[in-house]
Amino acid sequence: MIDQISDSLHKRPRLRLTALLSAPLLWLVVAYLGALATLLISAFFTIDSFTGNIVQQFTLTNFADMFTDAAYRNVVLRTLGIAIAVTLMCTVLAIPMAFYMAKVAKPRTRKLLVALVLTPLWASYLVKIYSWRSMLEPRTGVVDWLLGPIGIHSPGFGITAVIIGLTYLWLPYMILPLFAGMERLPNNLLDASGDLGAHNWYTFRKVIFPLLFPSLVAGSMFTFSLSLGDYITTQIIGGKLQMLGSVVYQNFSINLPFAATISFIPVTIMGIYLYLVRRSGALENM
Amino acid sequence: MHKKRLFSVIAATSAAALILSGCGGSSSSSSGVPKVDMMKSLGKGEGQVNIVAWAGYVENGSTDPKVDWVTDFEKSTGCKVNVKNGATSDDMVALMKTGEYDVVSASGDASLRLIYGGDVAPVNTKLIPNYADIFDNLKMQPWNSVDGVAYGVPHGRGANLLAYRTDIVKPAPTSWGAVFDVNSPYKGKITAYDSPIYIADAALYLMKTKPELGIKYPYALDQKQFDASVELLKAQKPLIGEYWGDYLKHVASLKSGATVLGTTWQVNINLAQGEKTKVEGIKPSEGSTGWSDTWMISSKAKHPNCAYQWMNHIVSPAANAGVAEWFGEAPSNAKSCDLTADKNHCATFHASDDAYWKDVYYWNTPTEKCLDGRKDAKCIPYAEWVKAWSSLRNA
Amino acid sequence: MPKPVIVSLKSISRSFGSVRAVDNVSLEIFAGEFITLLGPSGSGKTTVLRMIAGFEKPDSGSIFISDKDVSQLAPYDRDVNTVFQDYALFPHMDVVTNIEYGLRVKGIEKSERRTRALHALEQVRLSGFENRKPSQLSGGQRQRVALARALVNRPSVLLLDEPLGALDLKLREQMQFELKELQRAVGITFIFVTHDQEEALTMSDRIAVFNQGKIEQLGTPAEIYSAPQTAFVSEFVGQINKMDMDGARINVRPEHITTSKNAHNLGRSVNGVVRDIIFAGAITRYLIDTDKGFSLISTKALDALNVGDPVTASWEREREFHVQK
Repeated sequence: MIDQISDSLHKRPRLRLTALLSAPLLWLVVAYLGALATLLISAFFTIDSFTGNIVQQFTLTNFADMFTDAAYRNVVLRTLGIAIAVTLMCTVLAIPMAFYMAKVAKPRTRKLLVALVLTPLWASYLVKIYSWRSMLEPRTGVVDWLLGPIGIHSPGFGITAVIIGLTYLWLPYMILPLFAGMERLPNNLLDASGDLGAHNWYTFRKVIFPLLFPSLVAGSMFTFSLSLGDYITTQIIGGKLQMLGSVVYQNFSINLPFAATISFIPVTIMGIYLYLVRRSGALENM
Repeated sequence: MHKKRLFSVIAATSAAALILSGCGGSSSSSSGVPKVDMMKSLGKGEGQVNIVAWAGYVENGSTDPKVDWVTDFEKSTGCKVNVKNGATSDDMVALMKTGEYDVVSASGDASLRLIYGGDVAPVNTKLIPNYADIFDNLKMQPWNSVDGVAYGVPHGRGANLLAYRTDIVKPAPTSWGAVFDVNSPYKGKITAYDSPIYIADAALYLMKTKPELGIKYPYALDQKQFDASVELLKAQKPLIGEYWGDYLKHVASLKSGATVLGTTWQVNINLAQGEKTKVEGIKPSEGSTGWSDTWMISSKAKHPNCAYQWMNHIVSPAANAGVAEWFGEAPSNAKSCDLTADKNHCATFHASDDAYWKDVYYWNTPTEKCLDGRKDAKCIPYAEWVKAWSSLRNA
Repeated sequence: MPKPVIVSLKSISRSFGSVRAVDNVSLEIFAGEFITLLGPSGSGKTTVLRMIAGFEKPDSGSIFISDKDVSQLAPYDRDVNTVFQDYALFPHMDVVTNIEYGLRVKGIEKSERRTRALHALEQVRLSGFENRKPSQLSGGQRQRVALARALVNRPSVLLLDEPLGALDLKLREQMQFELKELQRAVGITFIFVTHDQEEALTMSDRIAVFNQGKIEQLGTPAEIYSAPQTAFVSEFVGQINKMDMDGARINVRPEHITTSKNAHNLGRSVNGVVRDIIFAGAITRYLIDTDKGFSLISTKALDALNVGDPVTASWEREREFHVQK
């Protein structure tokens, strides 16, 4: 019996492949795409204005609300701005860090640095953000205590705090791909550039940066999309700041269809982003 | 070819999702209350009960060994208690709609939605002996009954207070005007409650300061009154440092001085004072919004007998006193005032002080039909409050 | 008339940790010559090259290029260019952009850049490949691009770090020839690093043999081959028989040993038996087990020999290198 099965499987490679992939495929289609599809469909429903029950009738009200209310345009722009700022900050911080780790540090120091970069990932997201909250606390926080004497004061809770917090949270996700990319970058390319007369900044622009671009894109996909979807950091250190994620969070128990409509926005933005990345050809070298 | 196949997969998935979601929904009419049968008599317990409650309402000693009114209940009735904390009224409504829970401690801005949504059943108060001891002015109120039918058991009540740091805010405020003053010296350190229901706080202030608007009840606002309230909140926004939803975070802000002025609950004041924060809470001259919570039973309850036993237990003098003291609110059972550890508790929280509650407007769910009895006006329903609040917060 | 010196190393040393990679090396390199730094790996030859290029700084001593002390200058401030062992072409640029890189850095305008790059490409016989990416080229082609990229800058000195190491034998021999031709054509000083003594002998005007961070011998290929001054050089360059005779170590090259069935003596001789005959095209190697207990190889037979024949091997005394044991 078992022989027969294995025999027939052997003769039919397609069947064999199907059997092997059915579990992950089922997971992908039902659990993942299914959930996504349900979400997208419910964006076209509405709720009973009083009881909050979902009314399953096709309507574009949610989209009309979203596009006509300037508040949501503002929140989209604000969130985009924050995601871009966080990605830029992460890039600026991660490049020298990754360069030092991959090209300058001795092997033992390098291992230590990789471990140090990874350690924060073991701590809970919430713990980290709450500690930023207490650090940024105006007057009583560590930031004011430490930097107050030299005239730098805590920005308080708001957009600056959120950018700082998110940059801190996602920095490892930028450092690690950049570090991997730097490590793959042959030293003699840097030698060759210098040999041909290029100063360090020129070498960075023409050789290091283009070759690191795929790693940068990989890192930015984390920093950008994670920032785009965040709602907890802004809740804790954002003061009254609202991001796209907060709108979804705010509406998801009150008005699920509207939350679904809003969640279209980050999905669309990420779609466009991935399309641009694909067009740029950065993924071919990954 | 490839694309086509992917598309058909998505289409099939979507269709399946549609069918699935179609099964879960129940048809509800927007006019009148769906007919739900009331329990006639109690039977044997089902061995467990699933509860949705505010944090601190169902304590079994795991938070603090001294705070426990669940263990005894489980022993004497054989009903094991499973609790799910709701963070907001909206959360609780969403949880009850799943049909997985038997009982909920609903505030006034959730209770009517649950009643009209057909999510909760009328309560047979005869099956709840302790109902008799509950303050009369809490029974059969607009937020816990419809057309003379009780939909729940009153649990306890509190007023939203104006908190201020006594060492920073001078002179001490006496009016809600303090949080609406665009020239406030405390700009950026004022807080407000992060919920659509906060629009009622603005309406209450306008009710007392702008009589020409004709607001009679902060939860019954016609378009003009509603717009004026939202405008007031828009003007207030630059003053706000944080809107609070999480009471622990709010207490931390009061303590650190990130917040020095704004709306709060008594329990927060107590917690902050417990941490040596110089903070006081007052009910300002305009009165206050507030809450009066009600224990309700799900229309789809799988453990109705245990649910009734729980509702009876939780308003018993001892349990009611325990909750009131732990959470910091006024108990609903008149006899519980004798059982609080702090003998002044009922006085502090004005449990039987009718005059105190006269200008406290408990949270209620605004409907198109004006709740203040006006027949000639159309009022703004809660869904619009939600939209307006979302728009205000995200602008 | 002495040739002008273009690169001058004055007592340079460089250590890595406790390893003294380059130990007090002095060397004068003449303009227009093809000089090879030859040595086994770890002998310090590559470090010397990298110090000339500027990738490493000497711990002590100084380096002059065209009479200018460049010891502490960065690579981009030196008038030298390097061809790297594994080419180090920029993978994200096409061939012509790679070649133009150095000119672009110097701010040379576009049309001249392009003309010079195409000319360099022609010099290395790769015309028509300008728009390929390095990944689309074979090893030999990459080698030529690397060469063109360096040459296009018209440096006064070209440094080549084992540039042929990664090529297969046929291609390597062809490239050796081409490199030499090119060097003659452009007239630039070539400093060539290799561990392959045959390559060094074929191509160089002069060879500096490195061992343990020092130069063992400096001279023309003929001098290095036929007049090694140290045992190391004699053993590293060319094949040699190492023989323990008369209480001493005596080294003699195979082509200097004459073998015959008849007894003869050119200065020193030894008797033995032919163990094996290896035919290798132009030459034939005879492996002889001697009655002194060692084996030797001879490539010069006076008679037709067969395996098992008793023979006498003999050589002139001036062909001997005596090695201190």
